[in-house]
Amino acid sequence: MIKQATFYKKRIYPLLFMFLVTVICILITSGLFLSTQERATANELSFTRRAILDAGGLEYTPTTEGIEKTYKEKVQVEDGGTYYTAETAEGKRYILPMQGPGLWGTIAIMVGLEEDLTTFSGLAIVSQNETPGLGGRIEEPWFTQQFQGKKSPFTLVNEGTADAPNEVDAITGATRTSEYFRNLTNRASTDAKRIIRGE
Amino acid sequence: MAKSKLRKTFLEPLGKNNPVFVQILGICSTLAVTNKLQNTMVMVLGVMFTTALSSWTISLLRNHIPSRIRMMVETMVIATFVIIVDIVLKAFYPEMWKQLGPYVGLIITNCIIMGRIEAFALQNKPFLSLVDGLASGLGYAYVLLAIAFFRELLGTGSLWGYQILGSWWTNWSIMIMPPGGFFVLAIFIWVIRETIMKEEKA
Amino acid sequence: MNGSITPLAIFFASIFTGNILLTNYLGMCSFLSVSKELKTSTGLGVAVIFVMATTTPLNWLVYQHLLIPFGLEYLRFIVFIIVIAAFVQLTEMTIERYSEPLYQSLGIFLPLITVNCAILGVSLFMVIREYSFFTSFLFGLGSGIGWFIAIIAMAGIRQKLRTAKIPPGLEGPGITLIIAGFMAMAFMGFSGMIALS
Repeated sequence: MIKQATFYKKRIYPLLFMFLVTVICILITSGLFLSTQERATANELSFTRRAILDAGGLEYTPTTEGIEKTYKEKVQVEDGGTYYTAETAEGKRYILPMQGPGLWGTIAIMVGLEEDLTTFSGLAIVSQNETPGLGGRIEEPWFTQQFQGKKSPFTLVNEGTADAPNEVDAITGATRTSEYFRNLTNRASTDAKRIIRGE
Repeated sequence: MAKSKLRKTFLEPLGKNNPVFVQILGICSTLAVTNKLQNTMVMVLGVMFTTALSSWTISLLRNHIPSRIRMMVETMVIATFVIIVDIVLKAFYPEMWKQLGPYVGLIITNCIIMGRIEAFALQNKPFLSLVDGLASGLGYAYVLLAIAFFRELLGTGSLWGYQILGSWWTNWSIMIMPPGGFFVLAIFIWVIRETIMKEEKA
Repeated sequence: MNGSITPLAIFFASIFTGNILLTNYLGMCSFLSVSKELKTSTGLGVAVIFVMATTTPLNWLVYQHLLIPFGLEYLRFIVFIIVIAAFVQLTEMTIERYSEPLYQSLGIFLPLITVNCAILGVSLFMVIREYSFFTSFLFGLGSGIGWFIAIIAMAGIRQKLRTAKIPPGLEGPGITLIIAGFMAMAFMGFSGMIALS
């Protein structure tokens, strides 16, 4: 009888306890996950749409509803999502989703081009995994906004010295990421001409 | 008596028993995001939430956990709270979630959380453990927020994303790069040890 | 796609320019406390290389073949840490049983490793950066080697510093962090050395 009690205490009880804790933990997290899943998917969609608006240089109210409204009004999906177009006061904009290698992983961006398909109307980062504080700074507004109105192909210059329409600031301490980013953006114009005009 | 213990539990981690500059614990997961005040705030809130609630949970269970699987149960509880933080961030603050990337998950290995559970929650009542966890989290939070304050201000001339210093300011880019984090933390520890800790010793 | 990320580039980047300790501050706790001694640092460093190089591909398999098919990606934190803990425990038991000298030099460091955030960090990075199996292995191996280099370099410097005069408030962690800062700057200098294209 005593032996049985210690057997229970030493073997069964810990297992049972662990099992119970695991089940409770998984139930809680799964419940929360499932109840927020819809919202997370909606966020993801809104994030992509916002990137499209940013790249096209379109004005919008920065709320989920605001993004949705402007997107529905202004943006047309072309060719099953290979690119997007938008009409603005300054002319038609072509917005192209692109991705390419970075230092650590794939960098995905939205590039907005004006009608000549060479001048950038804007640029937005969709996803990137570069080193925080170094290459990760490509996500900062000063970096993405500098492409507005610039003409590709680009040359990299030291941070804070870009002047000519084909010069862009590189990021100090992140030469590699800057180079990868330049290669990616330089491809935008030729890719766009091929996809949109079939050149 | 009970009140003074509560007071002590709350105040000690903020000063003479601070997890960061006295015990040098748990800086790994957060130091990487201290180049922006906003990101740091979200991270330390996550750490505070996890420390407080996992201390409380373990303290509730403390008389029932078989000692052999203690660590596993603790890890499980901590991981659950971290996953909650992750899911909530993803659903309600997606941009923040994207920026923090893997660092939210790394809260699990933050030594402060496990340390407080082992040193405090296993011997004390739930409410007191909750206070202890919260205070440890707070003691951790203010140090990292101070580091982030200087890194963001000196590195970009802005705070919380708003430009503070004018165009006369030349950014100290090194501050927002990885070495900056080491230097600011070292200087912080130096200043604290030379001033506050010295007084206490005397 | 015009050129992709080469696994070899990731391998070198994770050793030098993207050193997990010096650019992501991962594994700081054991780094600060262990780097006092060269001998212990070497032991811990080798153990880290071994565990990182094995658990990263292991977690890759678990993630790709168990978590994704069942839609359980959100449980990855728990699952990864369990895989790491279980693997470390198993290795420790195996070493203890079969090789006494190896256990004395390596095995005693294994329990320290489960709480090393760098190990979990590498697995989480591997998921978020969508690496392939082979790249994950090289990334784990490289990060381990990078961590090893950082800790033995630091241990060597700290041994020399023993006789140096340091302001009392800076002793211990303070000076270690400052040196780590300089090391981080030095390692950033490697970025020009590896031609990727």
